[in-house]
Amino acid sequence: MRKAIYNSAIPKANLKSVKQSSCRASRFRFAFWLGLVLSTTAAFAADWSAAEQQLAKKIVAVTGPGTLSLTVENHSSLGRRDSDLVQNGLRSALEQSGIHFAKSDQAAASVALTLSENENSYVWVAEIHQGAGESAIAMVSVPRSGRSGAASESMPITLRKIPLWAQDGRILDVAVLEENGTPSRIAVLGGEDVSVYHLQNGKWQIEQTLQTGHTRPWPLDVRGRLVPTMDHTLSAYLPGVICRMTVTAVPLTMTCHGSDDPWPIVSGTMTMNSSVFPSAGSSTATGPAVPALAGFFASTRNYFTGVLSPAVGKFSTVPKFYTAAFVPRETYTLWLFASADGKVHMVDGMNDQRSSFEWGSDIAGVRTACGAGSQVLATTSGDQAQDSIRAYEFPDRDPVAVSAAVDFPGPVSALWTEARGDSAIAIARNRDTGSYEAFRLSLACGQ
Amino acid sequence: MKLFACHWLAASSLLLSLLARAETRPQYGGTLRATMHAAPETLDPADNRVPDSFARRSVTSLLFDTLVTWNMGHAQPGLADSWQASKGNQRWQFRLRHGVKFHDGTPLTSEVAAASLRFANPAWSVRADGDSVIVDCDEPNPEMLAEVALSRNAIVKRDGEEKVSGTGPFHIVDWQLGKKLTLAAEEECWRGRPFLDGVEIEMGRTFRDEATALETGRADLVEIAPEQAHHFSPARGRLVSSAPAELMAIAFARDASSPDEKLLREALGLSVDRGSIHSVLLQGAGQPAGGLLPTWISGFGFVFSSQADLKKARQLRDQVHTARAWTIGYDASDPLARLLVERIALNAKDAALSLVPKAVGASDLRLMRIPLASSDPWIALGGLAAQTGLSKAKNNGTSVDELFTAEQAALASQRVAPLFHLPIFYAASASLRDWALRMDGSLDLANAWLGAAK
Repeated sequence: MRKAIYNSAIPKANLKSVKQSSCRASRFRFAFWLGLVLSTTAAFAADWSAAEQQLAKKIVAVTGPGTLSLTVENHSSLGRRDSDLVQNGLRSALEQSGIHFAKSDQAAASVALTLSENENSYVWVAEIHQGAGESAIAMVSVPRSGRSGAASESMPITLRKIPLWAQDGRILDVAVLEENGTPSRIAVLGGEDVSVYHLQNGKWQIEQTLQTGHTRPWPLDVRGRLVPTMDHTLSAYLPGVICRMTVTAVPLTMTCHGSDDPWPIVSGTMTMNSSVFPSAGSSTATGPAVPALAGFFASTRNYFTGVLSPAVGKFSTVPKFYTAAFVPRETYTLWLFASADGKVHMVDGMNDQRSSFEWGSDIAGVRTACGAGSQVLATTSGDQAQDSIRAYEFPDRDPVAVSAAVDFPGPVSALWTEARGDSAIAIARNRDTGSYEAFRLSLACGQ
Repeated sequence: MKLFACHWLAASSLLLSLLARAETRPQYGGTLRATMHAAPETLDPADNRVPDSFARRSVTSLLFDTLVTWNMGHAQPGLADSWQASKGNQRWQFRLRHGVKFHDGTPLTSEVAAASLRFANPAWSVRADGDSVIVDCDEPNPEMLAEVALSRNAIVKRDGEEKVSGTGPFHIVDWQLGKKLTLAAEEECWRGRPFLDGVEIEMGRTFRDEATALETGRADLVEIAPEQAHHFSPARGRLVSSAPAELMAIAFARDASSPDEKLLREALGLSVDRGSIHSVLLQGAGQPAGGLLPTWISGFGFVFSSQADLKKARQLRDQVHTARAWTIGYDASDPLARLLVERIALNAKDAALSLVPKAVGASDLRLMRIPLASSDPWIALGGLAAQTGLSKAKNNGTSVDELFTAEQAALASQRVAPLFHLPIFYAASASLRDWALRMDGSLDLANAWLGAAK
């Protein structure tokens, strides 16, 4: 049932950190990719046969060959199917050991099997009764494994959730560097590093990992953003630190320095309707351009200070906020700021209107060929065990939901508009596995 | 009725999920006001003059860190960022995280960490080796990771008798012994500055006071007595409970001195009507227990019957010629304990056994409430043994059978009669977010924040 848990070896030469990738993590990422990109449902088929044989042997050691009655109660988190599999498997194993099943009043012994569990393992306990004597106990344990799931409903626009990457360690952002129908080269901003991967023969291969140096501890709710720049480099914005990375030359290089420069909210690239990285896809959106906007980020906290660059009309400062989204109009851009006070502030350059709608603190704007041409993606606010994101449009000043809510396996920890502007990156932490999962959110019209 | 592990595992997973509401990003600022029933007289987690309690564990986790943390049966990096065992689990090496500082500004070193572990475990052989701490055991210790994750093994820098410094998310601002603890956020905490600016904990409060404090808005987080949980109104706040993390049991002061005494002790255990006590006095909180470990920890707790068997109890009693009256001690400050002891004495009387409740002084047996040390079954069993005078079970292997055998042997000694496994209840105002209960029943406030009440 128990065993000592080891992480990587300490000695000197090759000390790996616990959080560094392992074979298990790689397998997990590949399974995540295959399982979700191919839109298949993960199925965890377990092989219980060894444990069934072991338990059967223990039972027969008590009863000897003969007639037996067997009852099974499932008090574990095993589903009905697995519970039935275990029961059938145990029956077969007992029969192979010379047991014949009979009704309890005709059997020489009765076995009450309880499928139980503890933190680590399923524990199957057989209480064996023979005649009027004391009952005997036989038990085995089987290591447990995890699982996950999702849901949706019907609306005019479909919000698609495309899995990009998953890992045990924190993910702050993901940038797609190349794609051909589906992403084929990505950069992943982690808590301490940036890693670049490319897809080869259906498997993600790591190209390189570069550390993002920082002298102060990160804030607890550390945030970061990857932004492609016009000179074909990738900038990583982190609290009080900016890193610039070349991703077109090999080996990849990155330099980091302390900086309080503002973070792009809408980067200049989006307004030009072209991609910085030629093969990273380009926006199909049309309509009014969105002006570039940047915000100063509080280096020891998890929010933007509210100081904007450049100003939005007469507002060079708005209340401190977590995220922002744009709604382009013909003659101006309506900016939405998910403020630290839990409200969404709508700023059009002349007015700052504090809204009453119930959104979470992560929002992002996208420009698409669907509906009004631009949508705001927003997380939910509330007590749900799962988080979700839904697309909204703003015919006027009130949001109208235009897509069904897309569920995430845990709280959404980041939501950033992608550089091309018609999609967003969402990061969620899976409540079951504890791993971080990155998705691209794109909108499909009229489905 | 059987209640099983999966219910508690599922419930606790759901609980943790519900508590960790991250749909809205955490907000910085504010002071959390908490109250607690216990009034620990020291903040040193290794001071064994003060009994273990969930409250003490909670306070320790605010101020200190352990080398590793223990979660769902696995170790996670804490102050140690890697570790390894050698010599068949007899030597454990923990490599310390770099750049960690104590609240007094001094760096965490392997020497300080080793001294801290030695203080908490005088029997251990602990030494510093470069940036590592090495623990050598006399015999294989596969539970070492779960053991160093225990609250009492938190790394403490001790300067003098009472001055302690930690590396946790909060540092001490004011400490009124056993009354009030005021903490402030540690700006340079290695895990990142906590969202809360501070925490104020009022100690030694009655459960009634605590509930009133929550209701009147004077506290954000309070404990609720298990027997009161049933009456808690959702309008007053959010009630949460842990998995059953506390054993209530009758423990004898010494081993049975004769076979006759063993029979009488067994008769006492069989006479207690746990079912009715559970329904009436505990108002349905927790589970009647026949075993020492709850099912969610062992996986087989339900095998040990908790049913009263008065007929068999009388038969056992009748096998013994004379039985003297036993005194049964209890915690006089716990009103529930007195009621429980009185009821147990009545049950015993039905089996022709005489129990005399005694609030103070030495007694033949005692009603005890014992926080389970860990969710690791061997550590939990060892902790129970230490607190009740049972022989410590030796873990020779890794199988569930050996654990079962060890628990069976402990029960057969008739030193302890398990009664109930109780969960820990907390209630919080709606404004407190992202707090959690650890599997050991302590509060995890490292990521907590105060938002607007909904």
